[in-house]
Amino acid sequence: MEQKSTEAALSSTLQLLSYVIIAIGALFLAVKAGSLPASRWEPMNAGTFPQIVFLSVAVLCGIAVILEVARNGFPRASLNVALTRLNRLKPVIVNIILFTCYMIAMPWLGFITSTFIYLVTAQTFLTTEKLKALPVILCIAVVFSAGPYFMFSELFNIYLPRAQW
Amino acid sequence: MTDAFLTAMSGVMEPYTLMLMMVATCAGIIAAAIPGFTITMAIVLTLPLTFAMPPMQGIAVMLSVYVGGLSGGLFSAALLGIPGTPSAVATTFDAFPMARQGKPGKALSLGLFASFIGSIISIAVLIIAAPPLAMLAVKLGPWEYFALIIFALTIIASLVGDSLIRGLIAGLVGIGIATIGPDPLMGRERFTFGYEILAAGIPFLVILIGMYAMSQLLSELEPSRDQHSQTSGSLISGDMRPHLWQTAKSVIMRPINVIRSSLIGVFIGAVPGAGSSISNLLAYDQAKRASKHPETFGKGEPDGVVASEAGNSSTVGGSLIPLIALGIPGSPADAVLMAAIMVHGISIGPRLILDHPDLVYSMFIAMAIASVFMLFIGILLMRAFLNLLNIPKYIIVPTVLACCAIGTYTLNNRLSDLYLLACIGIVGYILKKLDYPLAPLVLGVVLGPIAETNLRRAFQTSTDWTLFFTRPISALLLALAVASIAYSVYSLIKQRKAVA
Repeated sequence: MEQKSTEAALSSTLQLLSYVIIAIGALFLAVKAGSLPASRWEPMNAGTFPQIVFLSVAVLCGIAVILEVARNGFPRASLNVALTRLNRLKPVIVNIILFTCYMIAMPWLGFITSTFIYLVTAQTFLTTEKLKALPVILCIAVVFSAGPYFMFSELFNIYLPRAQW
Repeated sequence: MTDAFLTAMSGVMEPYTLMLMMVATCAGIIAAAIPGFTITMAIVLTLPLTFAMPPMQGIAVMLSVYVGGLSGGLFSAALLGIPGTPSAVATTFDAFPMARQGKPGKALSLGLFASFIGSIISIAVLIIAAPPLAMLAVKLGPWEYFALIIFALTIIASLVGDSLIRGLIAGLVGIGIATIGPDPLMGRERFTFGYEILAAGIPFLVILIGMYAMSQLLSELEPSRDQHSQTSGSLISGDMRPHLWQTAKSVIMRPINVIRSSLIGVFIGAVPGAGSSISNLLAYDQAKRASKHPETFGKGEPDGVVASEAGNSSTVGGSLIPLIALGIPGSPADAVLMAAIMVHGISIGPRLILDHPDLVYSMFIAMAIASVFMLFIGILLMRAFLNLLNIPKYIIVPTVLACCAIGTYTLNNRLSDLYLLACIGIVGYILKKLDYPLAPLVLGVVLGPIAETNLRRAFQTSTDWTLFFTRPISALLLALAVASIAYSVYSLIKQRKAVA
């Protein structure tokens, strides 16, 4: 009944947690949908369809939890395994942070500058041969920051965000 | 009729028109191959360029982008595991594993040949059987549409991933996401919580780019045993040769799969609102069910690549049936095509064939020529794409992520879409890590509004819910949906027993 591998136990724990979170979110939205204004001229109002959908999600999540626990029991994941796994995902996490900063900075720095900085930073972080790769990284950053900006503005009259400073 | 055909032929076969079509086909392939750039977007961007052209030439150019675009999704699907367009979702199931097994050339050439044959079959069906097929598609009422979407979603949920229940949850969550913003019938705001960013709903393409492109690219950064290949190596390596004749033979030796998938594509394409995003999955599903070795699907099975690509490319002919015969666009791309025809002062509707037969014939001829261009350009570009794969991962991942940002911004010129992209990308990556299949979620977002509109229309027409079960086509589709789930549950139980 019990999970044997610690990695599998962590996955099962996270999956169970996801079912619970999704179910709570779905129930909340189903209640919200029920409070949407209704009209007596419509057999189905704006909230009926989402309510059906979100209640179905909650029910399915409930079934998933029951099936998972019945099949494998409650998983036992340790914090150490979770931290090791999180540490292994460092390149992904750093890239997510960099990309989020890029999205947030774009309105102020403009497309060209923010893209250039993002590409140089992300590529430098990901490569193992930083100095050797730097000229290529800089070339790519220039081409993919200025290139699309001028292509879209000149050919399609679409202006990517400009700097606010 | 002969005069009209000859006029159309001479119009399309002009060297300048052919050259423009070649460029347009190439542009369509490249645009669809870039995650975030859809066929619709490519056609929209082409539209202003055709204003100055004669109608026949303009339509030929737009159709070339369309035909090229339907096969372009294959490239990113096979080489990056990211469907460049929703029509290439099923292509990723087998083309990507095949490429990962060191056969990227084979995966691409299989897809290209299947696309070519699928397009040609769809054009033949369009010419021969357009009127009766259009009549059948038009007979579908809201009950049938709703049942069709339920059927499509159950198939998708049961098709992808290891768990049917997670597939169903993902599909329903997708439908739920689509309910954010104005409701499709009365425009009432739902689930915006006072945030302006959500007032217009979450654009489907932002979800597609975030869920597929970002989550896939982030997964590429995860460390493996071979650290070098993770951050400094290419995404795919192996046999770069396309093995043209062998592959052509391999596709031709699967006549039933190709014809069945193409006919599914034509039929689904003829159903307005359906389209290539459904046809590739249905064709794939049918190929898997008909296969003697279904367990190989999802692991680089050639039949899977052939079915998906023949299925999506053949929708182009099918989707033109309601457009030409009735003036109903079957997809957003068809709507842009319709707009392009109307810009030239030609009214779309049943009289199009009677009043402008030369234009209709030119559409048929242009599609056939564009299919040939697609095959040749695809094969030529394949080598370039394969060479592009040697670009190290540390370059490709951030660069494609930046391209995703460009694609997202240019959709509506809205900065808020970029914030949504970042959020959706992170959620997509987490869901992927938790083994939730993303295809049902994304398709749930596309199909949700269609399902809701038709369900509510059905109840507005009659409050009798039994109509869903008493109308023959609707009943058949719902029965198929139930059978699809039952079959998946049965297969899972059988698999577990075999393992035990």
